Amino acid sequence: MKFLNLRYDFDWGIPFREPFLGWLITGVELTILIAAVTAITSLFIGTIVAMLRCSRFKIFNIPAKIYVEIVRNIPGLFWLLFFYFVFPEILPFGLGDTLHEFVKYSVVAGILGLTVDNSAYVSDIVRTGLLSVPRGHIEAAVSTGLNRFQQFRHIIMPEAFRTILPPLGSRMIHNFKNSSLCMAITAPELTWATQQVESITFRGLEVTFLATVFYIVLSLIMAALIIKLETHFKIDLTSIKEQKT
Amino acid sequence: MDFFIEQLANWKFYLFGTYPSGPLTGLALNIVLALLSISIGFFFGVVLGLGRVSCRRYVKYPCSIFIDVVRSTPLLMIIFWAYFMLPVMGMQLSLFWCSVVSLTVYATAYQAEIVRAGFLAVPFGQMDAALSTGMSRFQALMYVILPQAFRMMLPSFVSFFNSMFKNTSTVYIIGVVELTRTGIIISQLKPNRIFASYMVMAIGFWVVCYTLSHAAEVLEKKVGVIDYEAYKPEICRQDLVLFPLPNVVKNMLVSNKCK
Repeated sequence: MKFLNLRYDFDWGIPFREPFLGWLITGVELTILIAAVTAITSLFIGTIVAMLRCSRFKIFNIPAKIYVEIVRNIPGLFWLLFFYFVFPEILPFGLGDTLHEFVKYSVVAGILGLTVDNSAYVSDIVRTGLLSVPRGHIEAAVSTGLNRFQQFRHIIMPEAFRTILPPLGSRMIHNFKNSSLCMAITAPELTWATQQVESITFRGLEVTFLATVFYIVLSLIMAALIIKLETHFKIDLTSIKEQKT
Repeated sequence: MDFFIEQLANWKFYLFGTYPSGPLTGLALNIVLALLSISIGFFFGVVLGLGRVSCRRYVKYPCSIFIDVVRSTPLLMIIFWAYFMLPVMGMQLSLFWCSVVSLTVYATAYQAEIVRAGFLAVPFGQMDAALSTGMSRFQALMYVILPQAFRMMLPSFVSFFNSMFKNTSTVYIIGVVELTRTGIIISQLKPNRIFASYMVMAIGFWVVCYTLSHAAEVLEKKVGVIDYEAYKPEICRQDLVLFPLPNVVKNMLVSNKCK
């Protein structure tokens, strides 16, 4: 590091000294927890919103569209701050005070905010998947006597999720990276831990470096996993045709 | 509702702070940050994106590594790197320039990917045709490939501007007074009006982003896709069909209009 002429002595012992190591480990755990929980909840809510948006009835159609348009055009950070600072205030019957007494409310607020932010994007992706299912397949399902739920379960969903797997996966990686924003509402995840070490020891670069490496490695692993899933679920149409003939 | 109207009386603070007499803050700072980072990042993005599709390995791999590393790092981490690393390296930057640097690095990587996608969307035949007319590779890139590629990239650039504008709210964490910070400061002055000030903040972001996302949709319909079939003269299509036939038969078959 001499050639860069840094005014800084790297002390690689700091991340492994005691209170800091514990913070970093809880940070890693919480980051993974927040990313996993928001991925599942936002996939759930996003799918429901996408189904509502594809509905024929305007009662379902229009609220879903309004939800997506509102959430997509406001930054994710706003939703985190909203759920941490404002949401307990506007709850009726003193429910907000109960929330404030809850020890890990920051984590809950982080999960809520990221879910709301991510679900709008996920619903858009799922909707394109639902629309991409060929009309003929649905008609074939109807003609074999499947009811609407069965059509959805056995025909539309498997096909749609195969087509949307790559964009959905990159959205989930994005969501994992966005979990670092939870630091703004003092949820003790990895970025918060690095900033805490920085503000106590004034030696933030080592932990920031480790955290960056962690984020890069985990996103690359997730990307590799998605490619693996994609090849696993791929239907080889040519081989099916050959078997028939 | 009264709270809300009371907050709207502060509209100057939300929009541009005390600009002529003080620093530029509020929504205007968000727009300035997004514009600056995107326009600086565009230049580097084109260079890196073209570097990534280069066939020379010593150009391709460094560009790919930079793009992949930046794209898989959270924006917040890039901001912290700029905030803590640049002073250590002897560059004393103000908060504004620090956030411009970090947002530019982020925008560069993402725009490089857009440029790469646009470049690959142009058919390879275009490059061959340009080279066969005697252009150098640089000329072919400048006059044939990039104009088409940029036309295809325009919708993704507009939607990227949209997401970049939302991302500028992240720099609030290092203390830049943009719209998010303005809203929080005002909500801290009047804690019982917290909902109203957050509403105004959200509306500020929403109006700009909504306009941008609809602009992206309109652009996508108007200029996004180039229909290459429409540009082909009829004689070419006939030629393709009649290729194996000898010239005499061809001339007989091709109508007068196409000659």
